[in-house]
Amino acid sequence: MAALTPGSTGLRRALVPLGYPCPVPSDLLLEVQGLSKAYDGVHALEGVGLQIRPGEVHGLVGENGAGKSTLIKILAGNVVPDSGSVGMAGAGLNLGSVQASLDAGISVIYQELVAFLDLDAVENVFVGREIRRFGIILDRARMRERTSQVFQRLGVGVPLNVPLCDLSVAQRQLVAIARALETECRLLVMDEPTASLSNREVEVLLATVERLKTEGVSVLYVSHRLDEIVRICDSVTVLRDGRVVETMPASSVTRERLIVSMVGRQIAAQSQSAANAPGTVVLEVRGLGRDGAFEDVSFSVRAGEIVGLGGLVGAGRTEVARAIFGLDRIDSGQVLVGGRDVTNRGVLAAVASGVALVPEDRQHEGLVLPLSVKDNLLMAARERLARRGWIQRRAERTKGDELSTRLMVKAASLDVPVRSLSGGNQQKVVIGKWLAMAPRALIMDEPTRGVDVGAKEEVHSLVTRLAAEGAAVLLVSSDLPELLELSDRILVMCEGRVSGELARGEASEEALMALAVHREERAVS
Amino acid sequence: MKKLPARELGVGLVLFVLVLAVQLANPAFLRPENVRDLLIQCAPFAIMACGMTFVIILGEIDISVGSMAGLLAAALGTWASPSHGGRPLLDCVFGVLFLGLALGLVNGLLVVFARVPSIVATLGMLTVLRGVTELVLHGEWVTDLPPFIRQLGIGVSGGVPNPVLVALLVVAVSITLASLTPWGRRVYAIGSNPEAAKVRGLPVKQVKLAAFALMGLLTGVAVLVSAPQLSVVESGYGTGWELFVVTCVVVGGVSITGGRGSLWGVLLGVALLSIIRTALIFLRLGDQASYWERAIQGVLILTAVLGDRVSARRRAEVGA
Repeated sequence: MAALTPGSTGLRRALVPLGYPCPVPSDLLLEVQGLSKAYDGVHALEGVGLQIRPGEVHGLVGENGAGKSTLIKILAGNVVPDSGSVGMAGAGLNLGSVQASLDAGISVIYQELVAFLDLDAVENVFVGREIRRFGIILDRARMRERTSQVFQRLGVGVPLNVPLCDLSVAQRQLVAIARALETECRLLVMDEPTASLSNREVEVLLATVERLKTEGVSVLYVSHRLDEIVRICDSVTVLRDGRVVETMPASSVTRERLIVSMVGRQIAAQSQSAANAPGTVVLEVRGLGRDGAFEDVSFSVRAGEIVGLGGLVGAGRTEVARAIFGLDRIDSGQVLVGGRDVTNRGVLAAVASGVALVPEDRQHEGLVLPLSVKDNLLMAARERLARRGWIQRRAERTKGDELSTRLMVKAASLDVPVRSLSGGNQQKVVIGKWLAMAPRALIMDEPTRGVDVGAKEEVHSLVTRLAAEGAAVLLVSSDLPELLELSDRILVMCEGRVSGELARGEASEEALMALAVHREERAVS
Repeated sequence: MKKLPARELGVGLVLFVLVLAVQLANPAFLRPENVRDLLIQCAPFAIMACGMTFVIILGEIDISVGSMAGLLAAALGTWASPSHGGRPLLDCVFGVLFLGLALGLVNGLLVVFARVPSIVATLGMLTVLRGVTELVLHGEWVTDLPPFIRQLGIGVSGGVPNPVLVALLVVAVSITLASLTPWGRRVYAIGSNPEAAKVRGLPVKQVKLAAFALMGLLTGVAVLVSAPQLSVVESGYGTGWELFVVTCVVVGGVSITGGRGSLWGVLLGVALLSIIRTALIFLRLGDQASYWERAIQGVLILTAVLGDRVSARRRAEVGA
C-alpha cells in the first residue's frame, strides 16, 4: 500500500480493501488499527491505533497539525484513509462513507458547528432522517416529542421552535449533541466542544458528557483545554506529528505530563546569533481589541527585531495580524507605525506607512496564481517603477531579476505562471513582492506552512537577513522549533489575549505550550 | 409562522398602502372585474415564483425561465394549431409539461454535474432557448390556436378563471412541499449551510436537480394557462419574465444567498409587483407606464437585496 504514489487516491480507493472485518475484543467499542493518511506526500497520520471501551470518555490531545482533525474526519467518513482499519462494536467499519459511520453509531460534533442556522432545533436534529407519515409528509409532532425527550434526558432546556441563529452557541452545541443521541450514537466525537463557550456553559457541557457516560455512550473528547481533559477523561491519547505518542489512564495524567508528551522533543532553546542591537520602535500596538476575536493586545517591535507570536490555532494571532495590516476593523486600541497612528485606516495606509503582510493562505491571499512570477513580484512596486503612469518594462525586468536572484526563486523563467512553482518558491515570491517596496515592518503569518525542508531553511535565512537589514518582523507561527529559532522574544496568545512573553533565553516548547493552553480559574489536581 | 415574519409584514404593509393610494386616485381600480383581471394576470407568475422560490432558497438561481416560457409557448402553438401540428389537447398539455421538465433538468444537470454556476448556466440557456424559439417559429406568428387550447387560458371552472384555479392548486402544493415534506426542509437546510449539508450526508445533488426540474415543470404549467389567453403566439413571448419572477421572489423576502424565505412572502411579492404594473396603467401614465415599471422593479430588487444583506450582517454579528 505504501508503495503507491501519493495523489492516486482514486486508484488506491479501488485497490485497497478498506474496512475489511477485523476482530474486536468484546470489551472494546472502537478499535482503530494502523491508520495512515498522507496529503501531497506529507503524513497527517501514520500507523495510528486507538481503543475505546463502552462508556469511556477518551481524551485526544496534540499540538496543531498533530493529526487530530484527520483522525476525526476518517471516523466520520468524510476522509478516506490510505491504509488501516476501524472496528466498531466487533464489526469492521466501511471507511469513507458518512452513512456507514452513522449507521455504526459514530456521531461527530465538529469544532465549527455544522448546524443549519435557519432551521429550528427539531429540524436540525432530524433533517436527513425525518420521521414521515404516509411516506412523504413530515410527522412534526413526533419529531418534536422525541427531541424534547432527548433534551430531558440531558437535563437541559432548549427552545424547540426558534431558528438556531437566535440561540446561543452553547444551545446550538446541545442541539448537535441531541442530534447525535437521537441517531442512537454509541460513540460521540467532540472536537473542541468548549472553544467558544463561557465558563458556566462549559459546566453544563461537561455535566452532559458525564451523563452520557452513565448511559453507556463513549465519548472521544478532543480539546486543547488540558484541565477539562484531566477532569473528565478516563484515559488520554496523545498524538504528535501524526503518530500516537502514548495512551495513558486518567489516574496518571497531569497537565504538565500532557504538555511534555505533546511537545516531545527536549530541545533546549538554542540561542544562536545574539539579538541585534535593537533599534527604534517601528511597530507598536496598544490595547488592541476586536470583538469576538481578541482583546487588550499590546506589544512593540523594534527595527531589526524578530518578535514571535505563538499560540494555538484559533487563539487570535492571525486576526491580530490582519487587524494591524488594516484588513479587519479594530474595535479598541491603537496601531502605531513609526509613531504614526494608522488604526483603522485601511490596507493602503498600512502599506504606505511601510507595513507588509505575508498572509497565512498564500495561494488565495498572497498571490495571483495565473499571473507570471514577475507580475507577482512587482505587484506592490509597480507604481514606484512606473513613469508618468506608464509601465517601464525594462526597469521591471531588471527589478524582477534582482529580486528573484536575491530570493533564490527556482523557476524556469520569470514569465511562467506562479501557479507552476512549488510551495516554497511561491512563498518566496510572496515575500519578494514586499521586498520590492522595502518594508519597515514585516508581518509573516505561518510563512513556512506546507513548505519543504530545504525551502524552509531559505525562508528562515531570508527572515533573519531582513531583520538584520533593519526591518521589524512579527512572526506568527504554529511551528514551535521555527518560532524558537527565529524569534528574539515570543509573545504567546491564548483565547484572544496575550497570556505571556518569553525572552529568547527562557523560551522552550514546554513553556510556550503551558502559556498557549487554556487554564481554568480553579486549580484542578 | 415560527418567527415574527417582519419581512412579510413589511411587504404586506406596502401592498396595502399602494392599493389604498391607487384606489383613491382611481376608484375604478378595485372593481370586481378589474380584480379578476389582476388575478388572471398574476396567476402564471405566481406559479413560476413557486418554483423559483425553491431554486433561490437552495442558493441557486434560474434566469432562463423567460426564454423557456417562450419556447414552450411556441411548442404549444405549433403542436396545437391546425395549420401546423393539429394535435389533440392531451398531447399538447403533456408535451409542454414534459418539455418544461426536460429543460429544467438540463439546467439542473449543468449546475449539479457540470458544476457551472447557475447564473451562468441559465444565462446561457436564456439565449439558447430564445434562439431555438425563433428557429421553430421562423419569425412567424401562430394565429390559429384552436378553441380547446384557448379555453385553458380564458375558460372558467366553477366560477373561477382557469389560470387562477391552477395557480391556487400549485401554490397549495408548493406550500405543502416546503413546510410539510422532508424534501422541502432539506431545500432550506442545503441553502442555509451547504457545507453542513454535505458533512451530514444530505443528497444535495438530487435535491438541486429536482428543484431545477420543478422550475421547468412549473414554467410549463404557467405557459399552459397564460399563452392561450392571447390569440397569437410569437417568438418574443415571455421576454423579461425571468427578471419579473426573480424580483417577486426576492421582494417577497427570500434571501438571494439562500436558506431563508417563505412562499407566503413570495405571494405578497407577486401581488405587489403585479399591482404596481396595473396601477401604473390606472394612473394614466400612458406610454411612460412601462418605463416606470422597469425603474420601479429595479429599485425594488435593489432595496430587497440591500435589506437582505443588512439583516445577514446583523445575524452574522449576533451569531459570532
